[in-house]
Amino acid sequence: MPCGEYFTDYGSRMGLFRWRTQRIALVFGLPIPFLLPFVIGGGTLNLFAQIYIFAIAVLGLNVILGYAGEIVLAQGAFMAIGAYSTSRMLGTGAGLLPAMIVGGIIAAGVSVAFGLPAVRVKGFYIAISTLALQFIAEWFFLNDKAAFIHGGVQQTVPVDVGLLGSFIRISSRTDIYFLALISMLVFALLSLNFSRTGIGRSFRAVHENDLAAAVLGINVFRNKLLAFAIGGFMIGFSGGLYAVLIGFLDPSFFTIELTLQHYVMLLFGGLGRVWGALLGVAMVAILLDNLQEFFNTYAPDATSLIPVIFGAIIIVVLAVEPKGVLAALGQLKEYLRKWPYAY
Amino acid sequence: MVDVPALFATLVAGVGIGAIYALVAMGFSLIYKVTGVLNFAQGQLALVGAYFVAIFAAPSIIWFVPAGVLPTLGGVVALVATILVGVLLGVLLERAIFRFFIGEPVLSVIIVTLALGGIFSGFIQFLVGPNFRAYPEAILPNWSVPLPFGTEIGGPFAIGVVLSLVVVIALMVFFRYTVTGSILRAASSDQQAAMALGVSIERTIIIAWTLSITITAIGGILLAMANGGAGFAIETTGIIILVAVVFGGLDSVPGAFLGAIVVGLLRELGRFYVEDFVGAGFAEILPLIFLLFIIVVKPYGLFGTERIERI
Repeated sequence: MPCGEYFTDYGSRMGLFRWRTQRIALVFGLPIPFLLPFVIGGGTLNLFAQIYIFAIAVLGLNVILGYAGEIVLAQGAFMAIGAYSTSRMLGTGAGLLPAMIVGGIIAAGVSVAFGLPAVRVKGFYIAISTLALQFIAEWFFLNDKAAFIHGGVQQTVPVDVGLLGSFIRISSRTDIYFLALISMLVFALLSLNFSRTGIGRSFRAVHENDLAAAVLGINVFRNKLLAFAIGGFMIGFSGGLYAVLIGFLDPSFFTIELTLQHYVMLLFGGLGRVWGALLGVAMVAILLDNLQEFFNTYAPDATSLIPVIFGAIIIVVLAVEPKGVLAALGQLKEYLRKWPYAY
Repeated sequence: MVDVPALFATLVAGVGIGAIYALVAMGFSLIYKVTGVLNFAQGQLALVGAYFVAIFAAPSIIWFVPAGVLPTLGGVVALVATILVGVLLGVLLERAIFRFFIGEPVLSVIIVTLALGGIFSGFIQFLVGPNFRAYPEAILPNWSVPLPFGTEIGGPFAIGVVLSLVVVIALMVFFRYTVTGSILRAASSDQQAAMALGVSIERTIIIAWTLSITITAIGGILLAMANGGAGFAIETTGIIILVAVVFGGLDSVPGAFLGAIVVGLLRELGRFYVEDFVGAGFAEILPLIFLLFIIVVKPYGLFGTERIERI
């Protein structure tokens, strides 16, 4: 007989932190990222800020792909829309937070518009319509004649901006790090809770079997569009943050390669699970950074092998453990719990 | 007033480029029809075809191969060798990858093909670098066919028109009148029933992949010839091809052919009439806008089978 702690009521079963170990881990683990800037600095800090920003984008992808099951191939486009809108809004002096929110809202609007075909088709067709959006966006942001909308192909983002109007200056790398960290925590908490609400459950129903969901009285089309809106908002918001982090905008940051990277992160960590997404982003981003450094020092001719390695990772993960590292860890945990028995 | 010779020249150019697209598009719909795999790496497969001709014609463009070690293959031999590479790639892909994804959800297969696209283009870039590689003069068809109104159609496009017509007719005949074709159709309509009747599903999948990659590689080679050499711009063909196959109906080979011609025409008309007002590069975007329109209005295309869903 397996033994251990058992739930005695529904409230504790559905709690965000269910075990004593988890609460202790929270108390000791949460301060670590807040203390990091005092220990490390420079490039590593930037890498961590980038991990938090990509985590928001991947969590957005997780809402659309992991919860609602719609294949969206336009991460680059959504992030570009968020980044350029944020840069435009910063020019008006409204402050960073409103700028990023507007960027998110515009990305959400575009996302919903390109999700509209979901009224008649599903799966593959949504994938191509969003892939089309990716190419349209790349062309749009490279087009000088549309500069009156996006404000120039290449832009520099001011390094010293207020969070709200001109209050709470965000000026140093550490400020951006904390901003990214807090935004990531907020969005992670929102998506953790989101998957437990009624909307989150209807998304999962739509994902599992949309016909059955429709029969059960769920408005499939509206739920899909809602997923596009929420996910698009998060990806656009992270695009705005990314613009502030790198301080410079160029369409080449937001290509289809970015989409592929985010897919690796999500699939590697575990599709449909918030912790999986966070784990995947951290592991893949650190791997990517080290790979780039390795190739730049030892084999500059071979940097183009990075997409090859990533592609291989995707294929192997999908073939061996489609549920990602998190599921593999869960299996390991089960194995240790039952040890020395195999059952 | 409509400038008739200019319009005619644009239409001819559209049909020419559309015919080359048609080869790549037929490769896509062939594989979807038989195996149900939606291949997002189609553009990269065309790229592989284009670059392998350049590599076989001048192996020293690979950075780690010193000049003179590998033999340079002349014109036709390089083309044949590339087509052989296509066949081998078909077998290899089936054996090494797609066998593991039979019956997996569509999401996995789409992402696998996307990853394959990244692998192909990254590997080619690793081999020969990101630059344009001109074909040797001996391969390039430098002749052209004169047409009315003083226009002419270039060699690669003329070959494309003839070849794509031959391929579409050959494929239709193959699927309808040969035993292997019927086996492929049986396998595509119900894999389990076909297996119960003694059809080797693995062999049908290998046949489909090799046919598809060979046709696609030829399309890529012709695209490269039209530009005088291989370049990474060929990759973007992938998305344009998707427009063609969606318009024609995903699983219909003649549909893919027609769709590709329409897309080619759209692209050239866009280049000639609209690009000046909207900005450079709009010719590639116009088919994509057309695609969104099709998906909303007629998602199953001209000749596609409509799916009836049951729980």
